[in-house]
Amino acid sequence: MHSVQAEHHGHAGKTCAFVFAIWPGRLAVKLWMGIREWCGDSAYERYLQAPRTNSEKSRLLTPAEFYVERVNRRYSRPNRCC
Amino acid sequence: MALVGAGALGGIAFHRGEPLNATWFVVATACCYLVAYRFYSAFIAARLLTLDDTRATPSERHDDGRDFVPTNKWILFGHHFAAIAGPGPLVGPTLAAQFGYLPGTLWLIAGAVFAGCVQDFIILFCSIRRDGKTLGEIAREEVSQRGGFIAQLAVLAIMVILLGVVALVIVNALKSSPWATFTLAATIPIALLLGLYLRFLRPGRVLEASFIGVALVLFVVVAGQWVAESPSWAHVFTLSGVTLAFALIAYGFAASALPVWLLLAPRDYLSAFIKAGAIFSLAAGILLVRPQVLMPPLTRFIDGSGPVFAGKIFPFCFITIACGAISGFHSLISSGTTPKMILRESHARFIGYGAMLMESFVGVMAMIAACAMTPGVYFAINSPASIVGATSDAAASTISSWGYPLRAQTMTDLARSVGEQTLLNRAGGAPSLAVGMAQIFSSTIGGPRLLSIWYHFAIMFEALFILTVLDAGTRVGRFMVQELGGRVWKPFARTAWWPGILISSALIVGAWGYFLYQGVVDPLGGINSLWPLFGISNQLLAAVALVVATTILLKMKRIRWIWLTLIPMAWLIIITMTASYQKIFDPNPRLGFLSYANALAAQIAAGKIPAAKIADTQRVIFNQRLDAAVTAVLAAMIIVLIIEALLQWYRILSSDPKSVLHETAYVATRWPQDFSGALYTATVAEPDAPAMEG
Repeated sequence: MHSVQAEHHGHAGKTCAFVFAIWPGRLAVKLWMGIREWCGDSAYERYLQAPRTNSEKSRLLTPAEFYVERVNRRYSRPNRCC
Repeated sequence: MALVGAGALGGIAFHRGEPLNATWFVVATACCYLVAYRFYSAFIAARLLTLDDTRATPSERHDDGRDFVPTNKWILFGHHFAAIAGPGPLVGPTLAAQFGYLPGTLWLIAGAVFAGCVQDFIILFCSIRRDGKTLGEIAREEVSQRGGFIAQLAVLAIMVILLGVVALVIVNALKSSPWATFTLAATIPIALLLGLYLRFLRPGRVLEASFIGVALVLFVVVAGQWVAESPSWAHVFTLSGVTLAFALIAYGFAASALPVWLLLAPRDYLSAFIKAGAIFSLAAGILLVRPQVLMPPLTRFIDGSGPVFAGKIFPFCFITIACGAISGFHSLISSGTTPKMILRESHARFIGYGAMLMESFVGVMAMIAACAMTPGVYFAINSPASIVGATSDAAASTISSWGYPLRAQTMTDLARSVGEQTLLNRAGGAPSLAVGMAQIFSSTIGGPRLLSIWYHFAIMFEALFILTVLDAGTRVGRFMVQELGGRVWKPFARTAWWPGILISSALIVGAWGYFLYQGVVDPLGGINSLWPLFGISNQLLAAVALVVATTILLKMKRIRWIWLTLIPMAWLIIITMTASYQKIFDPNPRLGFLSYANALAAQIAAGKIPAAKIADTQRVIFNQRLDAAVTAVLAAMIIVLIIEALLQWYRILSSDPKSVLHETAYVATRWPQDFSGALYTATVAEPDAPAMEG
């Protein structure tokens, strides 16, 4: 009986920890990464991950070059509406 | 949910007498949109487009980490929504509130569900199936060469008119307002500072730069009050409409010609954060405050005699509310960046259809904010001096005689409480929306004491992202001019060639600057002429997009469901052509461009215009005739496109072998089913694996 109760309390404790600590923590991390990706903060990291040929690998852009190239490309086509 | 939505919609439509609570609007809109998304968009996805998640999208086949970037659907939804949501869904419903709350609200809901969302969704799908090609390229391939050229011209025309009219909205919001002018002017050095930070100090660290920028912008909103209270500084920032117009023209030229990282990009980052914050705050404010809607369901101005703009409820309600219901400009976004980043075909439903529903919801919120004001105050702010008079007494007397009681003291008190000298004759929608927003915000936080801060925050929010549309649009317009000029003389198309940059920037700024200037000096307030012209050109572009979509669906043998695009297309053509005809030929001088020009010419001939004003009047006459010519050209373009499309449809239906579908070949996706995004699930994507070619 005692062990069943302890198991029950242990399970409930894990559930509480998930609901009050782990789940909000994971949500906050996901939200933060989502905001970073939405605003373009992680664009360079994503660029480094993109598949590329060997010749492209040998001349990777620096963060500053990538930023300038990215905004130049982005604002050369309609990207803000009425 | 359908029953709740129908009940709330019925409440809005049939309620008479006592003011209606805004909660009815929120419930009706939310229920209609959820039901439409659940059933109508699912029907389009399954039956009409047969979206296929086993098919590799352009972002998978061409993943380069630059243009083609596989992106989580929620993040891409945010990108797409930020791109399509501009000043249109805020200004259009505010202006259309002159007909009462009912027609505008119904069109916002029905237009979005059956036309706007359908257009955005289908064009996004078409572009995904064509490696992210633009609307012009798709039109050239699927309709005809001439159709593609017309689409390109339509884009350029709408760009010029759009920039002119949104610039006019800013001018009308800022004129004689040192607080608002200082706040907006201060965002320019802030943007430059952020540009240098992002380029040299911390390259690409957009988030931290934006936090700094937003904090600085909020500070200058408050600091604007100190400027307005200082006689010497207030004098510097108290500018007339014409001065502001020239300042905006100079700004547009600089933003187009300067490196994009220096001014344009950082301003856009600032604008995106403030836009998202302000829209969510407005939604939360409406839910918390639940304001009463004081505007009647229908006003006497449905007969076409409205003071804000002339024209009957049909077709001008549908022309005025452009972007909140359907916007041709969205088809450029749907065939621009979004299709290159989409992960799965099925996401097109959530992003294309869903984001437009959200934009339409913003339009409904703007309608609520405008209609929560006393009707008399609404008309006093939005009507030109030539109709209601330039003083509070004259405006109160005229507006009260229309059946909307207004005391002169009310306008004086309201202006003082928001920190302005006057709120009269601020046509354009921005100031009245700012008053509505400020009243909702101050009912939540701060009370009447903070009304002036909230008003100027709302003005800054509107002006900031209008300015972003202005500089981003000017730059894109410059590229279009260079591309068109390059067909005549090749070096002109080189985007890094300085003479080309300067000449094309001057041409595009000169074009929208001319419309802006004519709006500023127009005795009828400018918005009366220019907003309908913008609405016509925007709906014309939507008709172009729906013609292209219908052609593609016919080629896909979806004849049974063709009415899904055919009916909104026919509706748009009917309202565009009717509005064009009335704007050109209507005998009422307030409505018809030619009759207004002729009436002024007759006054000059009769000697009724003082000698000192003859030159100005002749300029107004020329402008009215120019507007008539522009409207006629827009209408002619849609007629030519319809003829081209009808010929193409005949060829398709008669099984002409030349009418082929130009989709890219099927390639199976290599991504696992649970792959949901780029960065934080990148380990799943095997970054070094070569992309599959189509």
